[in-house]
Amino acid sequence: MRLMIVDDASFMRVAIRRMIETKEYEVVCEAEDGQQAIEKFQKYRPDIITMDITMPNLSGIEALKEIKKLSSTVKVIMVSAMGQEALIREAVMHGANSFIVKPFKEDKLIEVLESLKS
Amino acid sequence: MNNSYIDEPMLEAYVYETSQIIETLEQLMIQSEKVGNFSADAINEIFRFMHTIKGSSAMMMFNEISTLAHKIEDIFYVIRENQGVKYDFSTLVDCILESVDYYKIELIKIRNGETPDGDTASLTDKVNDYLEMLKEDNGLKKTKKEKETKSEKDQKYYIRPSKKEDPAKYYKAKIMFKKDCEMENIRAYTVIHNIVDLVEEVLYKPSDIIDNDQSIDDIRANGFLMAIRSTSSEEDIRKYLEKTVFLESLDFGEAEEDWYKEFEVIYQDQEIHDDIKIPETSKKYIENQKVKKEKEDIKQEVTATTTQSIISVNVDKLDMLMDMVGELVIAEAMVSQNPEVVRLEIESFEKASRQLHKISSELQDMVMAIRMVALSTTFMKMHRIVRDMTRKLSKDVVLDVYGEETEVDKNIIEKIADPLMHIIRNAIDHGIEDGEDRVAKGKSKQGSIILEAKNSGSDVLIIIKDDGKGLDKQKIYEKAYNQGLIYQSIEDLNDKDIYRLILHPGFSMKEQVTEFSGRGVGMDVVAKNIESIGGSVIVDSVLGKGTTIILKIPLTLAIIEGMNIKVGESRFTIPIVSVKESFRPGSREIIRDPDGREMIMVRGLCYPIVKLYEYYGLRTDVKDYENGILIMVEEDDRSCCLLADELLGQQQVVVKSLPNYIKRYKQVKGLGGCTLLGDGSISLILDVGEFELSNVLDK
Repeated sequence: MRLMIVDDASFMRVAIRRMIETKEYEVVCEAEDGQQAIEKFQKYRPDIITMDITMPNLSGIEALKEIKKLSSTVKVIMVSAMGQEALIREAVMHGANSFIVKPFKEDKLIEVLESLKS
Repeated sequence: MNNSYIDEPMLEAYVYETSQIIETLEQLMIQSEKVGNFSADAINEIFRFMHTIKGSSAMMMFNEISTLAHKIEDIFYVIRENQGVKYDFSTLVDCILESVDYYKIELIKIRNGETPDGDTASLTDKVNDYLEMLKEDNGLKKTKKEKETKSEKDQKYYIRPSKKEDPAKYYKAKIMFKKDCEMENIRAYTVIHNIVDLVEEVLYKPSDIIDNDQSIDDIRANGFLMAIRSTSSEEDIRKYLEKTVFLESLDFGEAEEDWYKEFEVIYQDQEIHDDIKIPETSKKYIENQKVKKEKEDIKQEVTATTTQSIISVNVDKLDMLMDMVGELVIAEAMVSQNPEVVRLEIESFEKASRQLHKISSELQDMVMAIRMVALSTTFMKMHRIVRDMTRKLSKDVVLDVYGEETEVDKNIIEKIADPLMHIIRNAIDHGIEDGEDRVAKGKSKQGSIILEAKNSGSDVLIIIKDDGKGLDKQKIYEKAYNQGLIYQSIEDLNDKDIYRLILHPGFSMKEQVTEFSGRGVGMDVVAKNIESIGGSVIVDSVLGKGTTIILKIPLTLAIIEGMNIKVGESRFTIPIVSVKESFRPGSREIIRDPDGREMIMVRGLCYPIVKLYEYYGLRTDVKDYENGILIMVEEDDRSCCLLADELLGQQQVVVKSLPNYIKRYKQVKGLGGCTLLGDGSISLILDVGEFELSNVLDK
């Protein structure tokens, strides 16, 4: 599975990468904001995207909408924090396939990823 | 750290990023304070900063840090979402700066592998009170935190039965989510949202999963119940439901129509009880995503955080790289200057070694460039110092910064922050007078401190200039004399010598001790810190007008251009910046003073002579001036002449500090380090400043 990590916090990118790499998932690219996410998605065509919501330039939800227009098969996992219920709901309405709430550990992330395999 | 998944790189990334955020945040506060308000961009940025810290810290299990960040995030959420909201700007800045200080301390603990255990209770309370006040003052008490989703109540996710009979079957399902999966209501919502392709109608309980966060507790306790009417096969539905993320257990099976009807009744009852007003007509579920109005223009101005392709590298690795390049330079010299090869005079070898030299020096330049960091971050910190101090001492001082883009080696930059801070504190505390005094003296009420950096050859000059009361020569001299630091009379000393006394260990004006300065740790520590990185401190002052302190700092510590000299069998290297000239004197210019000390007259000026063989007790045949050579060295306008056997040549050398065991064993004066020469022999680097220099120029 080819993954893209979208997060404006480099720590989160490192954290997610370290949680999933070594497994059967390969992180093909990272993006720091929604705009970059769309650009990199077109270039790398990952299977799964972990998408932060609060980001500069273009929010995760806007990026999600655009990416879902570009591909119907890509799976998007929203990475959210407590207190963002409404935003996740919005994301789900716009096609987010699943979501995960910070703080999370490796096993949870893997479980979400596994559930998206079809 | 009890979490196996948190490892070193994550910790490093966390500390690095959080520190950066904190620093930027602090600067943003100081800048905003100057303007007197937060710009829309600033508010957005602060919100995002706090959001990031909240998330990252939660991931690292630093809950206190995370909670505090969450609170501040909330404050800025309110400010961002409610245009024209009134808030107490200065209290908020204070709150955030206090939090910044707290974060700094905790980050140091984390970096050192300790648990961040700082008590945030009072700080969190403060922030919390502020948030409450903010909401109250603006009548936002009831505003839901995440109110941006215009609660789409009319979007009930279930489908009304069509009137005519259909071959649909009824199913019931109960989903239990795994513990700790969080936001069970939204998870349930996801299930319902995606099941619609598969079913004719779905009813669920609790029904208020969208609007009511309390439904989480219900789902946790009783599970998420669904009544499904569908023409799809049981298997398909089951498969779909089984794919639910964080599914603890699924109870799924066919149900009686009666049961379904019953559920429907309960469902409707419940809705009435819950007092959710949903017009009967709109209960028919139509997923109408297109209705969603397009979000406001998302074109935001690109903020200061422009993305660059930058990676962060551990400084240790850079140090190692630097070391290795140093070794390479030495090895290159060893090969290309190998006496036996040189004797052969092979043209192709010459050519090849020139090429090698070119590449290795380019490599060296590049490594140096990588390690260079702009002084801006260090300078920005000073704004905070000035802010805090002027408030405490109720003085009005403005700090102007110039040349903050000047770059210095990373290792050096770390060493100058403290001295700089100390000098600026001194300037505000002792230098700049109170407002009235200033006016009485005909100065502007507002004091001024200028902080400037500029390149000057292989040095960087950092100039701190204040327009305060200046240094009192007479007073300094008297103090120093009484403290036994000098024995000359004041007429024998020039201004710079006197001002230099304030750098002397043990010297203190100690007239008034304040919270910020005058507590023993004085200018001597500043001087020592600066000298430890090969720099020097120059003090100049005009009484009544102000004081200027100049820190002269080398660009880099690691590689210097040196002049190699020979004394007996020993080799020494003098940093080329210290060498003024070298010459072979005749014995006639030599003068002896009554104590037998030798001096030499050059162009009408008198320079003391240090005979290196004598100074270090070395055996050599060259003891007279006819055969030896004198090297005139200078530091801070003070000079002397060193006597050596001969000059060996100029070369770039890699500075290695003397091993600790040698330093412990014996303090040898005048040594700044050591290096390896091209032929593999060791050369000691002379620290000219430690010799007995004399101030020839002014006499």
